[in-house]
Amino acid sequence: MNTIADITDTVQKTPADRPNDEGHLGLWLSLPAQLLVLFIAVFPILMQIYISLTDWSPLDGIGWWRAWELWNSFANYTDLAQDNRFWSALLRTLLVMVVCVPVEFLLGLGLAVLFVDEFPGRRFLYSVLLIPMMVVPAVAGYMFFMLFQSGGPINDILAFFVGQPVKIAWLSDPDLALIAVMVADIWQWTPLMFLILLAGLVGVPEDQQRAATLLGASWWRRFITIVLPRMKTIMIIALAIRVIENFKIFDTLFIMTGGGPGVATETISVYIYKVTQQELIWGYVAAIALAILITLSIVSAYAIRHVSSPEADT
Amino acid sequence: MQRSAGYEALRFGLILLFVALTLIPTLWMVSMAFKPIAEWSATGSDLTWWPKNPTWDNFAFIFGQSSSELIVSLDRTAGRPILASLLSASFGTVIAMVAGTTAAYGLSRFGSGANLPLALIQLRLFPPMAVMIPVMIMWAFLGLTDTWWGLALIYGIVTLPFAFWLMKTFFDDMPREIEDAALVEGCSRFRVFVKITLPMMRPALASSALFVFILNWSDYLIALLLTTRDWVTIPVYMASLSSSMTGQLYGAKAALGLIAAVPPVIMGIAIQKHLVRGLTFGALKE
Repeated sequence: MNTIADITDTVQKTPADRPNDEGHLGLWLSLPAQLLVLFIAVFPILMQIYISLTDWSPLDGIGWWRAWELWNSFANYTDLAQDNRFWSALLRTLLVMVVCVPVEFLLGLGLAVLFVDEFPGRRFLYSVLLIPMMVVPAVAGYMFFMLFQSGGPINDILAFFVGQPVKIAWLSDPDLALIAVMVADIWQWTPLMFLILLAGLVGVPEDQQRAATLLGASWWRRFITIVLPRMKTIMIIALAIRVIENFKIFDTLFIMTGGGPGVATETISVYIYKVTQQELIWGYVAAIALAILITLSIVSAYAIRHVSSPEADT
Repeated sequence: MQRSAGYEALRFGLILLFVALTLIPTLWMVSMAFKPIAEWSATGSDLTWWPKNPTWDNFAFIFGQSSSELIVSLDRTAGRPILASLLSASFGTVIAMVAGTTAAYGLSRFGSGANLPLALIQLRLFPPMAVMIPVMIMWAFLGLTDTWWGLALIYGIVTLPFAFWLMKTFFDDMPREIEDAALVEGCSRFRVFVKITLPMMRPALASSALFVFILNWSDYLIALLLTTRDWVTIPVYMASLSSSMTGQLYGAKAALGLIAAVPPVIMGIAIQKHLVRGLTFGALKE
């Protein structure tokens, strides 16, 4: 089974022990991908650095290459440091992450445990449970927009339990709106955790567990001491994927609340989108974007080095 | 493994609860798509979980049939956005698959392009929102804004990491004896790749392409930024489905949402066994 360590291996090793004529074909084969990466990485990032040092906006009527006329040195970055809306959007993004990712993880793990052993209808129900992650996120956003209307079905279900009509305005209350968008994220992405963790659970060999059972170990004890340690890499992969994707959260959230009411559900992506489309200060947006890119690069470089430090393969 | 009947009952109860929680939000949209306008926003005791008078009107409406009950008719039907989504997602998939497959083969067999694995993971790591300013400027400069081919190009780049990693793990798994035999026969390396390897990899290519297509089809943010009118995709068009007279066109949106949601769900279930591999960049195989 491959692990993160293998990925970094592939990344670091440069096999040079191949005959030369084959090397040419290899270069040609990787050319399209290299060009696409160059096209989307190098030039845009240079452009972004340049624009981020200016006040340029597409409304100014001058081309971006003349942005130096609006040079403001590092004013965008000092502004950013004092931009409360940016920092609260960042905190909110992290809050959504620390709530959603663990909940998705635990629900997914629990569900995976329920699915390890065979039962009638297992394959079918497995497919059914994967549906949410295949629904187009924007459509999922619209589904939850309908569900959370004050006259909508969620209040209807609550009313059934409470015994009297419920009229909670989920999406126009600042706190409840944030809960609503988190519910939508959890609904959509718990299946991803389930899928990955179940693949991991199924891969844990049974002999050790059987031996432990014979020795009288309880199910819980076997799970904690034998199964979980063997799933470490898989759990890290699952969590890493969701942390990365959850940080980008936009589609469902934007369709449900548009970042509102006010800025109550404004995450980083929504904030950047709004500054881009509504306030049109692209020099400033470029500065925000670069700050995020640099931070993420440092965090990811650190994470890859430390998570994939050589350890026993699971 | 034997367990008590009580445990089995609890287990099945919990599974059914999860299934219900999974399906209820979906069912609400499915039912809304078939509800006549009078039932769209019925509340309280009138709220129905299943349409009382099921109708195809919502579907007819988004494809241009004017509705007497709504008093409005659409100046732009859903046909063109569906075409835009299909074209951009399909050609985006072609771009990602061609570049991804060749690069994956190059790395797997010749070790070329050793920088790509990490570069592509980083590409996936960054929020698209954080690189969109230069992309919007470049696309405007190249005349790619609001075109399906402009969208296809960016989709191809955004999903390239998945195509590359998926195909790389498939190539790594493939036994090389057959290739070697053909080489001994005197075939050139390139001929072996085109005539032997690719045909053998047909199932892997198909699953990877479906996987990439689902991702492209699911995009909202990029289309929101790069299309304005002529080539808006389904999700962008969907958000505009409301009228000043009636507000949200619930049923119409649900009908379109259903049309958008069904293909990826079917495709996703079809390639179930490769989903883990695709989503974990090949780090996990089932």
